[in-house]
Amino acid sequence: MAYVVTDECVDVQDRSCVEECPVDCIYEGDRMMYVNPDECVDCGRCEPVCPVTSIYHIEDLPTAKAHFGPINAEFFVEIGNPGGARKIGRVGRDHPAVTESAT
Amino acid sequence: MAQQIEVDLAVIGAGPAGLYATYYAGFRGMSVAVVDSLPEPGGQIAALYPEKDIFDIAGLPAVKGQQLVDALLTQAATAKPTFLLGESAVDLTTGEDHVLVGTDVGSQVRAKAVLLTAGIGTFTPRELPVGTEYLGRGLRYFVPRLEELAGQDVVVVGGGDSAVDWALALEPYAASITLVHRRPQFRAHEHSVAQLERSSVRIRTPYEVSAVTGDPTLTSVTISEVRGEGREELPAQAVVAALGFIADLSAMERWGLQMRRRYIEVDRSMQTNLPRVFAAGDITDYEGKVRLISVGFGEAASAVNNLAPLVNPALGTVPGHSSDSV
Repeated sequence: MAYVVTDECVDVQDRSCVEECPVDCIYEGDRMMYVNPDECVDCGRCEPVCPVTSIYHIEDLPTAKAHFGPINAEFFVEIGNPGGARKIGRVGRDHPAVTESAT
Repeated sequence: MAQQIEVDLAVIGAGPAGLYATYYAGFRGMSVAVVDSLPEPGGQIAALYPEKDIFDIAGLPAVKGQQLVDALLTQAATAKPTFLLGESAVDLTTGEDHVLVGTDVGSQVRAKAVLLTAGIGTFTPRELPVGTEYLGRGLRYFVPRLEELAGQDVVVVGGGDSAVDWALALEPYAASITLVHRRPQFRAHEHSVAQLERSSVRIRTPYEVSAVTGDPTLTSVTISEVRGEGREELPAQAVVAALGFIADLSAMERWGLQMRRRYIEVDRSMQTNLPRVFAAGDITDYEGKVRLISVGFGEAASAVNNLAPLVNPALGTVPGHSSDSV
């Protein structure tokens, strides 16, 4: 269980969520942010600070955004669980579905 | 200040589960020491949401976070605990009849049992992205005594309650105060933001600190507009970075505890895989675990009663009723 970043974040990357996250589990891709579902502790502090309302709890995802659950999770297949976004910095690439999405 | 303490029970983490466990250990006749990395007790409640209403504490239809912490402290005080606040537990070694806990400032607690109520980990201040090498030479994350910054030009960084509160509190002491935040809006309480707008604090948003200079101590701070061209160099002898906290579990990961993701596995008596080491609250994990304060309270009582015979073989696991103990 975790929070999920969705399409409104694409090309916005305000990063207010990063400042709120007490476990530093929100990672910076090239075009959007991603929540690591294994590191997220469900505290919910990221959701209200997002200026573009892009963050949802996975159980509250609107149907049209349901695919962002797996998109957030799959972003970490290669990275694993580094235990903090600041340890690895900007990742600089995205999930393929985001890389290919329109601007 | 480093202390040498010998107690029945060492509680690591002064959040709601740890404070309730402290009360409960006192009720069971144990002496208690409580260690927490933050300078104030209350754990996540105090650090993250002191002003929020909490609705799911048994018997309290609604209670503000800080009110709950204050009430838990009053209750815990009956155990006459020794608090080691602002100290992180960094070492834990188990012996035949005791456990030794060492802190980052060199304190040693020798206890007959340890209860880990460490929530999501050790809270450490989120670092300023530049200039961390100035820590202790002008950069600081806490302002325990405002008068230390008397007569200085101070730059406060951050947009939450602690940044705004520190900027306001320093106003009577500092020569000048500039509050730098990377977004136009502050997340602090409306009342404090209104007070800020009436104050003499210079506000720079959306700006972030891009460079810190001075040799050997800090003398100037450069701030840059976020997604813009603006740049300013401010004379400053102090930077207060109030960027919130990050919870870190790396100490606990070294102690040989059986962990699952960010959590410690416990059995039904709340015991970890290490002898004399128990856990309660958000940090525990088992089949069907639900992470709520109310569950943490139950686990704290369960853990303390189950470890009681280890502290004193004359103590049973069954506590009797608190209402009979007047």
